[in-house]
Amino acid sequence: MKVIEHLLDMAKIDRGRVRLRWVSAAEGQLFANYIKELSGELSELGPFDPSRYSLQLSAIESVLNSPRVRWLIGMDRQVTERGNVYSRKVDAAVFEQTLRTVCEAEYQNGLILELLRSGPKTVREISETTGIAVKDVSKRLVDVEKMGAAELSGYEGCSPRFMRTAA
Amino acid sequence: MSENFEPKALAFLCNWCSYAGADLAGVSRFQYPPTIRVLRTMCSGRVEPLYITEGLKSGFDGVFVFG
Repeated sequence: MKVIEHLLDMAKIDRGRVRLRWVSAAEGQLFANYIKELSGELSELGPFDPSRYSLQLSAIESVLNSPRVRWLIGMDRQVTERGNVYSRKVDAAVFEQTLRTVCEAEYQNGLILELLRSGPKTVREISETTGIAVKDVSKRLVDVEKMGAAELSGYEGCSPRFMRTAA
Repeated sequence: MSENFEPKALAFLCNWCSYAGADLAGVSRFQYPPTIRVLRTMCSGRVEPLYITEGLKSGFDGVFVFG
């Protein structure tokens, strides 16, 4: 839940759209109240247009599917409560910070790769569409190039264009 | 935003907790708005983050998970 909230924040999708609530079998009234409260919040937010966020949503999916994030989420309790293979415990705050950083990197990777689906683009174009700073785009491009997911497709003037390798 | 906008939300209900809770709400005739479309899961731990994004992608205005 923390991960998805963080991802929604990055995608600038309102947190009110995704909610987790605890209701037991004996709490019918509580359930009705929650529905009232949450629908109220939703009506204030207005309709959600998935086509405007399709790029972001696909990027979020790629984050959730990425082996790095899946491993990290699976290791949460293991390393913060029981200790790693050296029986050293990782501080929960440190772990969360790591998870956040990884999510951010993976999210930007996903965003870039999604964008490159529509054809080769220069760093500047990517930066403009995604809102990621130019220097971060370069960093992420090195990442995705290492993974073999994108490559240099040619030069336009003196700015290199990158394209997605067929996957 | 239009006056009569009726949000549509996807709700994941755990079979053993909130689904029974929702059932009770129905049986005791507590009124609540007809915004949610219910999906029963055998456990709310079964709900993957991917289901949530899929819900948003397919045009729901919001996704709720009840455990």
